[in-house]
Amino acid sequence: MKRIIALGASAMLAFAAMTGCSVKDDSGGGGGKGKKQITFLVFETPNMTPQVWDAAIKRVTDRYPDISVKKLVSPTQDRTAYAKQLLTSGQFPDVMVAISPAGFAESGNLYAWQPNELKDFTYPNNGAVNGKIYQLPANTQTIPVVYYNKSLFAKAGIASPPKTYAEMMSDADKLKAKGITPFVVGGGKDIHDALGPTFAGILGTDLYAKNPDWMHDRRAGKVKFAGPDYVKAAGKLADLASKGYIDKRMLSQDYAATQSAFLAGKGAMYAMGNWFAAAADDPKSKPPFDIGQFFWPSDDGKPVVPAFTGGGLLVSSHAKNLEAAKKFALAYQLDKTNLDASTKNDGLFPAIKGYTPPANSGPAFRTGYDLFKQAETQHAVVPAFGFEAGDDGMLPGVVDKWSTSMGDLVTGRKSAADVGKFLDSEWQKAS
Amino acid sequence: MRRSIRPLVATAVAAIFFVPLYVVCVNVIKPGPKIAKSPASLPIPPTLHNITAVLTRPDRLFWVSLTNSIVVTALSIIILTVLSSMLGHYLARGKSRWGRWLTLLLLCGLMIPPQVILIPITQVLRFAHLMTTIQGLVLFNVGYYVPFGVFVFTGFTRSIPVELEEAAAMDGAGRFQIFWRIVFPLLRPATASVLIFLGVWIWNDFIDPLVILGPGQGTTITTGIYRAIGQYQADFGTVFALMFLATLPVLIFYLALQKHFVKGLTGGATKG
Amino acid sequence: MAVDVARPPTRTGSPAVPRRRRPVWPRVWHFLSFGAPGVLVYVCFVLAPIAVSVGYSLTNYNPFGPKTRFVGLSNYKQLFTDSEFLTSLKVTTILTLIVVIVPNVFGLAVALLLDRRGWLYNALRSVFFTPVVLSSVVVSIIWTRLLADDGLINQALRGVGFSHPPGWLSDPSYALYSVGAILSWQMLGFCVVVYLAGLQGIPQELHEAAEIDGAGPMERFRKITWPLLAPALTINTIVMLITGFKAFDHIQVITNGGPGTGTTATIAFNVLQTGFNANREGYASAMAIVMLVIVAVAAAVALRILQKREVSM
Repeated sequence: MKRIIALGASAMLAFAAMTGCSVKDDSGGGGGKGKKQITFLVFETPNMTPQVWDAAIKRVTDRYPDISVKKLVSPTQDRTAYAKQLLTSGQFPDVMVAISPAGFAESGNLYAWQPNELKDFTYPNNGAVNGKIYQLPANTQTIPVVYYNKSLFAKAGIASPPKTYAEMMSDADKLKAKGITPFVVGGGKDIHDALGPTFAGILGTDLYAKNPDWMHDRRAGKVKFAGPDYVKAAGKLADLASKGYIDKRMLSQDYAATQSAFLAGKGAMYAMGNWFAAAADDPKSKPPFDIGQFFWPSDDGKPVVPAFTGGGLLVSSHAKNLEAAKKFALAYQLDKTNLDASTKNDGLFPAIKGYTPPANSGPAFRTGYDLFKQAETQHAVVPAFGFEAGDDGMLPGVVDKWSTSMGDLVTGRKSAADVGKFLDSEWQKAS
Repeated sequence: MRRSIRPLVATAVAAIFFVPLYVVCVNVIKPGPKIAKSPASLPIPPTLHNITAVLTRPDRLFWVSLTNSIVVTALSIIILTVLSSMLGHYLARGKSRWGRWLTLLLLCGLMIPPQVILIPITQVLRFAHLMTTIQGLVLFNVGYYVPFGVFVFTGFTRSIPVELEEAAAMDGAGRFQIFWRIVFPLLRPATASVLIFLGVWIWNDFIDPLVILGPGQGTTITTGIYRAIGQYQADFGTVFALMFLATLPVLIFYLALQKHFVKGLTGGATKG
Repeated sequence: MAVDVARPPTRTGSPAVPRRRRPVWPRVWHFLSFGAPGVLVYVCFVLAPIAVSVGYSLTNYNPFGPKTRFVGLSNYKQLFTDSEFLTSLKVTTILTLIVVIVPNVFGLAVALLLDRRGWLYNALRSVFFTPVVLSSVVVSIIWTRLLADDGLINQALRGVGFSHPPGWLSDPSYALYSVGAILSWQMLGFCVVVYLAGLQGIPQELHEAAEIDGAGPMERFRKITWPLLAPALTINTIVMLITGFKAFDHIQVITNGGPGTGTTATIAFNVLQTGFNANREGYASAMAIVMLVIVAVAAAVALRILQKREVSM
């Protein structure tokens, strides 16, 4: 017995000693002497693989050989929550990507970009917190686009995509009559990303179409969640579930499973951010059926397109090598190859002056891009509820409650009016 | 009649119980696309693709995590065994009121959920400049699990006749000599229990390494799996392969020591 | 009697050696060399953090918020009107009850079934114990997959004619029980092994004697087996009680507290959500301290009841 333990222990120690020297950590570049090291928090998805990140980082470090980058990987989809955890435990990274600046910015943890550093961005004032820009407004996302399964639409005898909300409801009815789930949604730990876009469609075409400044008014206390506009929109979401257009059981699916469900033909419509185009175009995940796109229709058929510009890199104000971190972030963000890659891997619309997507981009991306450009010229763009950042968004901490409250609406645990009251009280706690 | 039914019933119950593990095992060697469609079907033809995909990741996630887990677990359980067997012996042989209070204080530690102390722990570790280091995580493990070790060792030491030690003391042996030469070898079953339980717990620990080790030092095997779900969201073959490989070492460890461990459990733990 | 082998010699309670007055320095040295290292680490990494937590719980500490100040007991007062906390209290209680009762009952049944010698029973015991050895993250991922709407369980239910099987993890009225079942599945093997150890410590002669006296199997179980399993029951109950209260990993990986608001959020989950995600660390600390008190009281009460039962046997 003792021998077994001793053997096991010494074997383990020997192995540890052996590999301990050769394998240190999994970061991209090592910290050479004389180099300025910065840490960079990223996240991994089926499209944003370790290789993609490493290549993108390397393009910048090749240009600035004096900077070395230590890549940190967020273990969860919820990068913002993870960054908070890192800040609380004293490990705040120097550079971060696609994290909501709310909370970090007000408490002085982020570097505020100067106007001359933002001269290349199309919307240099988007996502400001107390009037200052902390997150590079790098790209635009339309949230949601409704992707639909053309063969299921044909099966239900629907000739063209709906123009008004009422039309969409009657289409949903036709689909349901054929035994097809009209809307694919998800929930679980990813409820914000898996169900949020659907609700952002309703809120965008209802509440924001009526009052694009609704969130600013909420911050000023002029409107309430329990007020008629929000409650009406919340009621619409609850209706989708109670009429059976949303399958409540899908709420256990995480983000990836939701996407797989739509790609496997388990429902006709999928309201999702335009980043879904990447999966729709990817030959690995491309479904056998054709995917069409339309924007979530408003009651009167007037075009309304919820979109969010931001999503770029942020720099910690405590970065040891602040200059290097800033230089890296800007170079990373403006690198043409990186931007092209972001259109392909994440379906993003770069909001950089003079940028055009590569000619070989996929059809789903192309369709979405053209639809958005058209909406831009029609001035139909409104904020995407629940996805806004900074002064344009909810108070820090309320977004999580907003996400879980969607689950309450869909499962019918709470009425729309109760959800409104709940969010007002959470708002009160957070302020 | 009943004699022949028992093995059948027992096997049937165990088979039902085993279904989730069966699903993992077959899907490790099943081509990815088939998994969602028919999770329970036999893997024909089998493939090693999932396993090689995990082992050959360019960032060596599996190997880095494995190394971290082995280092953390091995260091923690060795230190824990040494410290808690000595402390357990001290408490079992001590008869002072102070010793009883100390025992009680340590036993309280058995029921403290780690979440209660995790946030201040990060501050203590930062103060000691041990945050995000392997040493910090090992020290935390030692502190957090010392009560369990003491609980097992104190109980077991009491079952060893004190006369042995007294005789050795008469012969002029020192305290350390007596403990390591005479007492410790007799504590084997308790040592096995402590090694297995703490080894498994520390190997499988999730939230503590997630927070204490942070993202910079690489992950342990559990936090590595958790992180990999992001990338392999829809690729269950790879997720299952990763889980399978991550579990293998601890499973072998358990199977190798299980006989002793059951003895330790009956000898030490059932004493309370 | 052979049972005594599994119990500490009764002699240990009383001093085996006559107490001698010894000089103080050797005793201090004894403590410093044998006791102090373990105690020191314990104090630094468990007791000190608890003290820090108690301190925080009296403040409005928030790394993002206004300057930290002393707020007295107001965090604690707020807790008992906070519907979110009260819900998590209820969730934790239900989950703990499931985790104490289900693995204990089924664990005893399985242990009785496996209480035979032979390779088959040894192998089956390993089967039941394997999930205990698995990481809760692994177990959670497996079950999330199995219980998904297109997962194995619902596929099977549809196969036998249930066209609308429940959403095990997506329906607020099932999710908590599903999580409880998953935890129970994982911990069942622990109870099995402890009960088996207890059963195998019961001398065969007792059963034989009772059989000669004409006692049926039920009566033998009630009169012999069950009473002699008292120490095993104590261990299982306490360990399951603590497991239930601590439940965090499964919640984080499987449901993230949902579906909806807080339907499966345990106190442990809420503490970290409030502390790390909402950054209200003062409030989170108050929650943690209340949780600690509840766990301590529950464990102490259970231990007292169960051990009294053991002693009176």
